[in-house]
Amino acid sequence: MPKVSPTEEISTGRSGRVRRVTSSMSEINVVPLVDVMLVLLIIFMVTAPMLQRGVDVNLPVARRAEAIAEERVFLTVPLTYRKDRAVRLGTERIVIDVLAERVRQMMDGRDDRKVFLRGDGGILLQELLEVMDRLKEAGIEQVGIVAKLPEER
Amino acid sequence: MRHSRVTLAAGLAAAGLAAAAWPGRAPEAAPQQPTEVILSISGEAGARPRYAVPDFIARTADAETQAAAALMGTVLWDDLAFEREFYMIPRDTYRTIPAARSFADIPFDRWRELGADGLVVGTVERAGAGGFRVEVRLFDVRARRSVVAKEYSGSAANPRLYAHTAADDIHQQQRALRGVARTKLTFSSDRDGERVANAVSARDVKEIYIADYDGANQRRVTVTRKLNIMPRWSPDARSIAYTSYRRDFPDVYVSQIYQGALENPTGGRGQNWLPAWSPDGTRLCFTSTRDGNSELYVMNRDGTGLLRLTTHPAIDTTPTWSPGGTQIAFVSDRSGSPQIYIVDADGLNLRRLTSESWCDRPTWSPAPFNEIAYASKTGPGYDIVIYDLATQERRQLTSGRGSNESPAYAPNGRHLAFMSTRTGRTQIFVMGRDGQDVRQITTAGNNYTPDWSR
Repeated sequence: MPKVSPTEEISTGRSGRVRRVTSSMSEINVVPLVDVMLVLLIIFMVTAPMLQRGVDVNLPVARRAEAIAEERVFLTVPLTYRKDRAVRLGTERIVIDVLAERVRQMMDGRDDRKVFLRGDGGILLQELLEVMDRLKEAGIEQVGIVAKLPEER
Repeated sequence: MRHSRVTLAAGLAAAGLAAAAWPGRAPEAAPQQPTEVILSISGEAGARPRYAVPDFIARTADAETQAAAALMGTVLWDDLAFEREFYMIPRDTYRTIPAARSFADIPFDRWRELGADGLVVGTVERAGAGGFRVEVRLFDVRARRSVVAKEYSGSAANPRLYAHTAADDIHQQQRALRGVARTKLTFSSDRDGERVANAVSARDVKEIYIADYDGANQRRVTVTRKLNIMPRWSPDARSIAYTSYRRDFPDVYVSQIYQGALENPTGGRGQNWLPAWSPDGTRLCFTSTRDGNSELYVMNRDGTGLLRLTTHPAIDTTPTWSPGGTQIAFVSDRSGSPQIYIVDADGLNLRRLTSESWCDRPTWSPAPFNEIAYASKTGPGYDIVIYDLATQERRQLTSGRGSNESPAYAPNGRHLAFMSTRTGRTQIFVMGRDGQDVRQITTAGNNYTPDWSR
């Protein structure tokens, strides 16, 4: 967050601006933090209505997840990924080698570069990152991590 | 399944011009039986069909056949991608799929896994001395059956022509679209760097060149060591009309590039520039100062039947014919600055089209589009603008990157070639008629005023 130079505040003459400069040291500068953590992708947590589920997986639980409103591209990473390295795009089984190209095809003609990732709660972070790596290769800019609320079964 | 045999024309009569070694356009395939059902591959709802084109299969083990097989796959992929009718699956994603050795062992499951709706498989084998026999099939990956099957045979001299022919056949059969893969560009270039001998001004020599639509096979046509500019393809794509200073004054010449013959229909009467073919190829419209001022004239190709179109003390120049041959658009500065006007081909009914700061080099689109592309001054340089004659709306295709001038339509109206200074020197580029997919065609020297064969 760039600091406002003192001469500018004097010229504007607003007391509010002056105060912000004096208190700026107490704010946490989150911009570089976000840059470091999310070099890969923009990630957010969501819950999906029951109907939008494809293949059944045991979703992780998150209290602060937001509901998904729109009809979106869902990518499911089941526990069996560890054995057969295959995910589900919608309901179609796709091996990880061709995932990037298949997602690129799905995005042909769409303007939102967004995929919702339904990973099993038991998936390793390494395995999830392998999948997200392919999504980035496919030009996906945002990945939603689908979770269920604690009261959901 | 359709199976037809097409022989590529090769072995043209030898002639003095460099272009004489080119294979001409292949004859069209035999007409279809009207009862035949044409199967077309569709993709998922709302999406373009997705095609994959792996390397062709070399059935003969020699290096030339193998190189040709790989080249044909690449060229065919590029040709199909050019029209943007299909989503072309990038070739670098094919490496995990085992290559087929014949039409019988294609791993359809793996192609389906990659998302392919259509798969083009070709085979190449030697046929006699210096010849190839090429078989191309388009498979519906879901149904696992071939919907297009073509066999071509001809010379091994230009493997790209087989791929171009197959691309045009696939576009025609699957999308009822006239592809441009076998069309050619012509332009003038100073790339050989010769100076005009004994010229008053040290003008660079410009010669006429031709190239495939994708920039391959660039060849020189004229060898005059003089200024040769503004080439225009005849509608049959066998002749090029251009302005040449070969006798040290501008005059209109026509080169029959496959015969090596040169015609001079204006015969040195006055100074003559900028020939434009009528759509039927029988007449030329050009600019001449033979009556003292720059006016437009129409004559038959053999120089007879001269008709003067304009009579105004201002400059009238750069004519272009409407697709039906009934009207001619041109540039005139009679209002003070150069603007585009339209006149009927008999010289009547003259009317003004544009009111911009400066307009130059109009080109009338082929049917079914009814529009005129031209260069409009938008700042220090020009940009390509299209004027729709039906809606009277203009849209700008390029925006401010270098100066962009001299648009020329592809025969199906879906692309334009133009010259641009965006990379420093003046080069030929092509783009879609929406201004997208800009591709650079030339890199050597400076290259000017492209025209696209019919």
